[in-house]
This record gives sequence, structure tokens and C-alpha cells, in this order.
Amino acid sequence: MKRELGLLHAIMLGVGGAIEASVFVMLGYAAGLAGTALIVALMLCGVINLFTMLSYAELGSAIPKAGGEYTFAKAAYGGFVSFLTGWFEWISNMFYAALSSVGFAYIISYLIPVNVPLTAILTIIVFTAINIKGVEEVGKSQVLMVGTLLAILIAFILNGLTSPKAQGFQLSSPGGPIGVIQATAFIFVAYLGAEAIAVAQAEIKNPSKTIPRAILLSAIVLLVIYPLIAYAMFRIVPPEAISGQSSPLIYVAQLSMGDLGKVALIIAGIIAALSSVNTSIMAQSRVAYALSRDGYFPKALLRVHHKFSTPHVAVVVGAMFTAVLAATGVINFVGYATDFGFIIGFALVNLSLMKLRKEKPFLDRPFKTPFYPFTPMAGIVTSLFLLIFIDPGVLSLGIVLCVLAVLAYYVRMVGYLRFRVAFGGISLGLGGFTAILTYLIATGFMPLNGVSPTIITVIVFILIFASIVQIIAGMLNVTARSGRF
Amino acid sequence: MSIRRKVSIVVGLAQSMIGAFTAVFAYVLYHDFFGMQSVLNVPKKDVVLYMLVLIVFGLLSIISGLFLVNEQ
Repeated sequence: MKRELGLLHAIMLGVGGAIEASVFVMLGYAAGLAGTALIVALMLCGVINLFTMLSYAELGSAIPKAGGEYTFAKAAYGGFVSFLTGWFEWISNMFYAALSSVGFAYIISYLIPVNVPLTAILTIIVFTAINIKGVEEVGKSQVLMVGTLLAILIAFILNGLTSPKAQGFQLSSPGGPIGVIQATAFIFVAYLGAEAIAVAQAEIKNPSKTIPRAILLSAIVLLVIYPLIAYAMFRIVPPEAISGQSSPLIYVAQLSMGDLGKVALIIAGIIAALSSVNTSIMAQSRVAYALSRDGYFPKALLRVHHKFSTPHVAVVVGAMFTAVLAATGVINFVGYATDFGFIIGFALVNLSLMKLRKEKPFLDRPFKTPFYPFTPMAGIVTSLFLLIFIDPGVLSLGIVLCVLAVLAYYVRMVGYLRFRVAFGGISLGLGGFTAILTYLIATGFMPLNGVSPTIITVIVFILIFASIVQIIAGMLNVTARSGRF
Repeated sequence: MSIRRKVSIVVGLAQSMIGAFTAVFAYVLYHDFFGMQSVLNVPKKDVVLYMLVLIVFGLLSIISGLFLVNEQ
């Protein structure tokens, strides 16, 4: 792959990856939790993000290869830990792209009536083509989009500071410190995505200098711009007025700047969504490329386009999964897994930094994280702390994703046949479990209180069928090696 | 095509279908489409646990079924 992205491109990649359409929606609920102290929550998020971004900057400058977190974890730990990191990075970016494309379709639907899933899929197709065409095109489109987005957001901030409708500002939180912490956990997603710079490091010019600068400057831009947006917003309206709004930024812009402000913020929302789609499609393909390079994913994903020098197969395969995710209604729930994946990734990057500092002290590090080991430790603790506030449903989905990662890894490592035999055993266990469950329900040992007898009969028949299929499937898989049965 | 191969394809498809329906059912139950939680009298607090069990069951079934369908 060619090194075509300069410092400005890289910064725009980071900022555009982070400022996503959901930011335009989430500030209202966060304001309900923290009041005007949302500004403090946003600053806290920025500082937590900065701890980990310092680790990204050090590792990105020391190991400038495609793959980001995966490459760092591979250098530090190798084996399953690095695969798990890459797996979550790959999946999270696909979810993020799907969410952003759906977000874009919803914003468009405010202006003109469109079919949301179809629009989301078309968006993914367009950005897949841009990503195949070349990383230079990604960089150029990103600079244009994020530059416009930042210009609109700065105009919004300036308006909030100078508008004649602006009122006095007083820092307060109806929920006290707990409300601020809850808002911090909720709004942290606004800072995710800037690490796309590390993923694209194989295509960045002069990586040892550009990568740490771009990562840190992106984190600082976000740390400055988000609290200023909140401050400008609260200068126009109190938190109570926006906590119930579906899109508080657009609402405030319309109040203070009229229809022009509303249209400008809608355009900003569209750009935010599109730049996130752009960045995350690029990021997922680079992670898939790195995983394929190391033999975890099929070799076909390693193919680089002869004319454009981009990993076009990895781009298309990831885009297909993303399009399927965007086309289903499941996205609203599954999309939250993005947070889980990114937060786990943050913790693993900090752990990788600490391991490499200990085991490879002489590794050339053009940038070094200050206040070591305090900063990576703070990054780990604060990231994991945020997990506590994630919805339990999301945690269960995260566990399922971990199980899938273990399965994928062992298919690669253990070999097809042994793995298949193991799965035969699992099927037999599931069949046995289902048969016992059926017996307990049918005989009344396990009463289903409040469920009608007809439904119980249907459930019993379904369970009998499922247990028979599971047991036969288990026997077929267990006997696969010898061919007996 | 041997009898074993034919049986493997049929059983594999059936197992994968069971897995897919289980995963869809988990989604329907979680979002309480068609009032499913009240039809099956599932307490709200247990829905996440049910969903987790059903999704794991579904995924394992799909993977096991695919092994049979794509027998090498």
C-alpha cells in the first residue's frame, strides 16, 4: 500500500471518525443527566480518551504497520490476545459504519422522504467505491467533508457566544456527581473513532512523526470542540429545554439562527455521518488485511488492487457485512456493541504499551507517552470503569462476540476436523439438554405458569424436533473422522 | 452422493434453520414484538438472560449445521 496521507489528512481522518451523527442526538439525553455540567462530563471524556490516545501515539510511531490495535497487541502478546483485539476492531468498525450510514439515512429523511435501509445501503456502496479507488481519494474527501463540518460547528459555537439571545451561564447538575459520571459513560461514544489514524498508519507519510502528532491533535481538537458546543448550546437554552429534543443541536440552531441555522446543522449532521462511514469502511478493511496477512482470515483478503493499490477484496467483504447490518432492524440493538468493542480495544492497547515497555525497552520510540506508567494505567482503569455503565444486554452481546472470536481462532489453530468433532459433542449436549427440558415441561415437573396449554403443546413439539435434530447432527459430526454411522 | 452425505445435508440444513429461527426469536423476545414476553409470561428482568441463552444456542446450531452442509 502507498503512503499518501499527510498530517492534515490524518487529523481529518481522526476528527471525522469521531464526530458522528449520533452526537447530534445524544447531547439532549446527556444534558438531562448532567445539566449544564455536561461540559464537565465532555471534558472528562476527553481526558479519558487522551490517556489512551497517548498510548496509540507511542505505539503508532514505534510500529507503523497497517492494522492499528491488532498490530500493537501482536507485537506485545501475539496469539489469541492479538487475534481478539483485531476481531473486536474489525467488528466494531463494521458496526460503526452501519450505524453511521443508517444515521445518515435518518437525517436525509428529515429533508426528503426516503427508504432508510435502501439509502443506508446505497451510502455504503458509494463509499466502498471511494475506498477501492484509492486512499488518496479517501483522504481528499475526508479533508473536504470534515473541513466543512468543523466550519459549521465553529459557526454554531461563535453564534452561541455572541448571539443577542444568549443568556448567562451557571454550572449545575441536577443529578449531582453521579449524574455527571452517568453522562460521561453515555457520551463517551462521541470520542470513539479517532484511532482510525492508527489503523491507516501503513498509508501515512513519514509515520514516526505524523502519527503521534495527528492522533494527539485530533484528541485535542475533540477535547476543545465538544465542551465549546455544549457551552454555546447552554448559552441559548437551558438543559431542561433540550433534554427531550430528538436533535438538540438542530433545535438550538433553529432557535438562534432561524431556518438557515437548521439547514446548516442538518448538513453538518449529514457530513458527520458520511465521514464516519468513510473512515470506518477504510478502517475495517485494513484490520481484515492485517488479520489475513497473519493467516487468521482467508488469504483472498490480502489481494491489493493492481491499479489503485488498495485491499479491494477486504473493502468489499467488510462492506457486504456492513450492508447486511444496515439493512436489518437489528442494527439499533447490535450497534451498541460498537462501544463494547472499542472500549475493550482501548484497554488492550494500554496493556500492549505496558508489556512492550517492559519487554522491549530498546524499541525505537519516536514518541514516548509522558508520566508512564500512570497514563496507560489510568487509560485501562477509566475504560473498564465505563463498561460498568453499559447496558446489560450489550454486555451479553459482547460475551457472544467473544465466544465467536474463540471459535474462529480455534478453527484456525486447532484444525477443521478436530474442531468439527468438538462441535459434534456440543450438539449432542444441546440435544440432551433440550430433551430433558422437553420432558420436564411435558410432564409438568417444570410448570410454565401463565402460558396457555395450546402454546405449551406447540413449545413441546418444537423442542422434541429440535432435540432430535441436534442429537443426529451431533452424531454425524462426532463420527466425521472415521465416516462411521 | 452417499446416503450419509444426503442425511448430513438435510440434518445440517434443519439444524442451521433451527439456529437461525432461535436467533430471530431471541430478537423478537427481547424487543417484545407481538407481545411475546406476556404470551410466554417472561419476567422483564430475565429477558436478557433468555436472550443470551437463545443466541448462544442459535449460533452453536448454525455453525454445527454448516459443518454438516459443507462436509469436506
